[in-house]
Parts: sequence; C-alpha cells; structure tokens
Amino acid sequence: MYWEQSLETLDRSSLEKLQIERLTNSLQLAVRSSHYGRCPAIGRLLDSGIKSIEQIRDLPFTTKDDLRRDFPWGFLAADKKDVVRLHSSSGTTGNPTVVYHNRHDLDSWANLMARSLYAAGVRETDVFQNICGYGLFTGGLGFQYGIEKLGCLSIPAGAGNSPRQIKLMRDFGTTVAHAIPSYLGRLFDVFKEEDLDPREDTRLHTLVIGAEPHTEEHRRRIEEMFGVRAFNSFGLSEMNGPGVAFECIEQNGLHVWEDAFVVEIIDPDTLEPVPDGEIGELVMTTLDRQAMPVIRFRTRDLTRILPGPCPCGRTHRRLDRISGRSDDMFIIKGCNVFPMQVEGILMKLPEVGDDYRIILQTIEDQDEMIVEVEVKKDWFRGDLTLLDRLQKHITHLIRDEVLVRPLIRLVEPGSIPKAEGKAVRVLDQRRK
Amino acid sequence: MTYQVSVFLENRLGRLEKVTALLREAQINIRSIHLNHTANDWGILNLVVSRPELACEKLNASGMSAALREIVVLTMDDKPGGLDVLLKAIAGAGVSFTNAYGRIVNEGGSAFFMVDVQDIPEARSRLAGAGLEIIEDAQVYGS
Repeated sequence: MYWEQSLETLDRSSLEKLQIERLTNSLQLAVRSSHYGRCPAIGRLLDSGIKSIEQIRDLPFTTKDDLRRDFPWGFLAADKKDVVRLHSSSGTTGNPTVVYHNRHDLDSWANLMARSLYAAGVRETDVFQNICGYGLFTGGLGFQYGIEKLGCLSIPAGAGNSPRQIKLMRDFGTTVAHAIPSYLGRLFDVFKEEDLDPREDTRLHTLVIGAEPHTEEHRRRIEEMFGVRAFNSFGLSEMNGPGVAFECIEQNGLHVWEDAFVVEIIDPDTLEPVPDGEIGELVMTTLDRQAMPVIRFRTRDLTRILPGPCPCGRTHRRLDRISGRSDDMFIIKGCNVFPMQVEGILMKLPEVGDDYRIILQTIEDQDEMIVEVEVKKDWFRGDLTLLDRLQKHITHLIRDEVLVRPLIRLVEPGSIPKAEGKAVRVLDQRRK
Repeated sequence: MTYQVSVFLENRLGRLEKVTALLREAQINIRSIHLNHTANDWGILNLVVSRPELACEKLNASGMSAALREIVVLTMDDKPGGLDVLLKAIAGAGVSFTNAYGRIVNEGGSAFFMVDVQDIPEARSRLAGAGLEIIEDAQVYGS
C-alpha cells in the first residue's frame, strides 16, 4: 500500500517538525549560492530559529525571472565538482532556466518518483513504458530513475513513432505507460489504423498522464479508450520535474510530498496566503535538494488544497488538478510556451506585421499550435516561392525556440483583430 | 513591359469576390485570371487587367496586399498541339518559369501564354533569340 509507510502517514505535527528541520538545513545550504547569499531575510530567520513552518512567509519569493537573471550559476549552492546533472528549459532567446542535482538529489528525486508510482498501484512486477522525451526534458530521465528504483522492467521508449510504441507494448507485455494526455488520442488512432484494440490487444492496466493540464472528462475518456485507470502526475522542472505531486488509487487530488516540499497557495495579486479549499497560485520550496535549493518559487500554476484527509491514509495534503495559470504561459504537447517567445521571433522578421495570434486547436485528435502572421504589404511582391520560404523559415525558428512545431498561417494585413490594452494573443480552442 | 496584378489572398469565403467587386467599381476589365493556392489556406491571385496600375492602387487602398509583377507574354496557335509547339520552343531557349497560364484571344485563331520567370530581361532576350514573338502590353491589356 505504501512505499515508505512511516513518512507517508506521518502525523501532521511530526511532519511539520520534519519540515522545519529540513528547511533549516536547506536555507543553510541556499545562502552559499550567490542569489540567496544576497538575501538578508534568510540569515535573520536562521538566527532567530524557525519555530513554525509559516515563518517561511518572512522570506522573499523566487520567480522564473530570478532564475533567468542569475543564469547559469547564480543558484548553485554546491561545489561544481559535486554536481552530476543539470536539466534546462527550452529557449534560445534570453536565458533558459537550469536546475542542478548532486547524487543525493537524484536519489531523493528517484525515491519520490517511486513513491508516487507506488501510490498509483504500480509494482515491481510491472513492465513500464515511458513514452516521453529523454534529454533535458525532465519527464524522460525523471521517470526512468523512479521506475528503476521501484523495480519495474523499464522500457525507455522515448516520444513519438506510434507504430513502434504499439509494437513495444505487444512484444514486451507493457502493463503501465506514461505519456502526455494529448498524445494518447493520437496513439489510440494508430491502434485503430492497425485494426487493434488496446483493451484486448495489450496488457495495459495503468496509464500515468501529466505535464499538461487536463480535465476529469479527458481522463475518463482516456481510461475508456485504453481500458485502464489513468493517474494524474504533477511536477515542474524547478522542483525537479515529475514526482512532486501524484494521485493515489483514490484518484481524488494529488498528494504533494510535504517531506520534500513546502506548499503554499497565495493570492497572486495580494501575495497573501489563501485558506485551504480556495484557488490561488501554487508556491513551492524544496526541502531535500542540496545542489540547488529553491525558496518560495512562484509556479504561476493555479490550484487549491483539497481540505480533509484522504481515505488512503496518507497525511500529505492533496492538490486539486491545475485549473489555469496566473501568467499567459500555455502548455502544448508537453512543452511550456510563453507567447513572448513567439512574439520575440516574429518581431525580428521584417517581412511580417506587428499583429499575430496564436490559436490552439485539436485537429484530428492532436493538439496543434497555429500561429497567424500578417504579411507586410510593402514586402509582398506577388511571389509565391518567397511566401512559401517565409512560412518554412518562421516554422523552423519557432520550433527551435519552443520545441513544438507550429502551423504557420499567413494572413492578409488587417485581418487579425487589433490588440487593445492587455492583448489576447492566445485563443485556446482545444477539446478539453 | 507587361504586368500582372498579384494579390495575396486567404482561402476564405468571399475573398475573391471582394477583388472582383473593386475592379468592377473602377471599371477595370479582367482579361485573364489565375489562382495559385497552396495547401496552407492562402495563395496568390494573378490577374491580367485593362489598367494594372490603377487596379493595384485600388486593391492596396482597400487594405489588401497587391503588387505589380512583370511577366512575359507569348503567343501560340489556338489549335491542338499549339501549346506543345510553344513549350518546346521555350525549353529550347533554356527558359524555365515558376508559373504560367493561358488565354484565348479569338476562337480558332491565337492564344496568349502568360509566363512568370525570375529573370525577365534574360528570359526576354533568350525567347527573342529563339525567334518567339513577345506580345507587348497594349495588346495584352486590350482596350
């Protein structure tokens, strides 16, 4: 039932004691980094001693901009020689963000991942296919280490190539798979094209879905298509990646591992905490990462704490599914995209006008990012070849920046509604 | 020098009609029309009209993207094999084109063949060198 019974069912007051102890250690490490070394509030808190975990509110927030500004080494709290891995966000314009891990950090992460999967009913007898990009993206290696820690037979299948995914499932009797929810519709279509039914022709019993917000209805549809139970996984690269919060077999909220993270929900405008049950922005602090502690990170994800205990017996509180963002970031095909990244590329091109629009649409069961771009009048020469080349050029530039291949739609000047005030640049028409 | 009017068009209901309405209002006669659409929901409309400069001005003033684009106009016989004879001569002159379209001048007589090439002066000299007759603007635009 539990991967680590004593920790997972620890009573709340002991859990808080553990949090205080770990936060103290974490802060002592954090001040070795140049970023947190400049923060007097940490020293003050350490000097007075932490009596209640709520005193974390005396510390300033950390934002994605802070991480970018102090790129690449400003948050590193360990000797470079002790660091064994980094994961980094996409992006070629401006600084990406980077997270460092030492051996302890990777062990701790793998353990949280194993604990999460165990809570969803995955066991060492399972055959686990990780349908997820490896490399800098944390969903590949993050799951891989957790699957191995748990003791499953792992199939590091990587992303894409649906016929091969299906062949792997059938050849090796895959029982559990991890993928982004928007991919599973596509995979199901390929099953149908091959005249196969995943319910009959595979041994799948569990799917782990994450990295993309999705609705309860979407989950139920996936469960129906594949004849499995699907579990929601939540993580973000700043807090390692996957394994931050996970659904247990109750499928009612995601237990966030509070021995490894401090969770706060704040009002994104007043920055004050909101009571359990109310929606606000998720703020997280690492408690068990040595190479790079991050304090009070503003995730920009909107969610709430589900009040009350979970019948599974775990005392770690549950997050509701992510209901939105407090900024304009969107997630497509598992990649985080800020409209500013797209805008930055377009504004450098003399051929295109100032107005653009991003439309997210479900086309043949696949979520697509359509970018509408106006061709400038004085650049137009009536030459189809030039327009064709421009379209390909923009496609490549955006794909290199955000790692998702966009569909570029060239449109007539003036056909995109003028942006007034806070521009609505993104139209989300995806099937939920 | 002969020009076609090229208009950037989205592949949406009523876009083409907007162009023809504008030309009608300005009393501009369309002598030939050719749509070059891609699979990407947009394309280029090529028009040979009686008054290309005016047409281009009107279209741009209405907010559309239009440009004058020089073309070479050749003549051929309006009978079976007419285009084949012409194309063999064009190929023989070593001229390749990016787009082309035709138009009958008078039934059973001759037809025009409008050719869009990258290097106009080079193409003109090669085609003339191969003995092909290049039709000039007044004839193409008509009256």
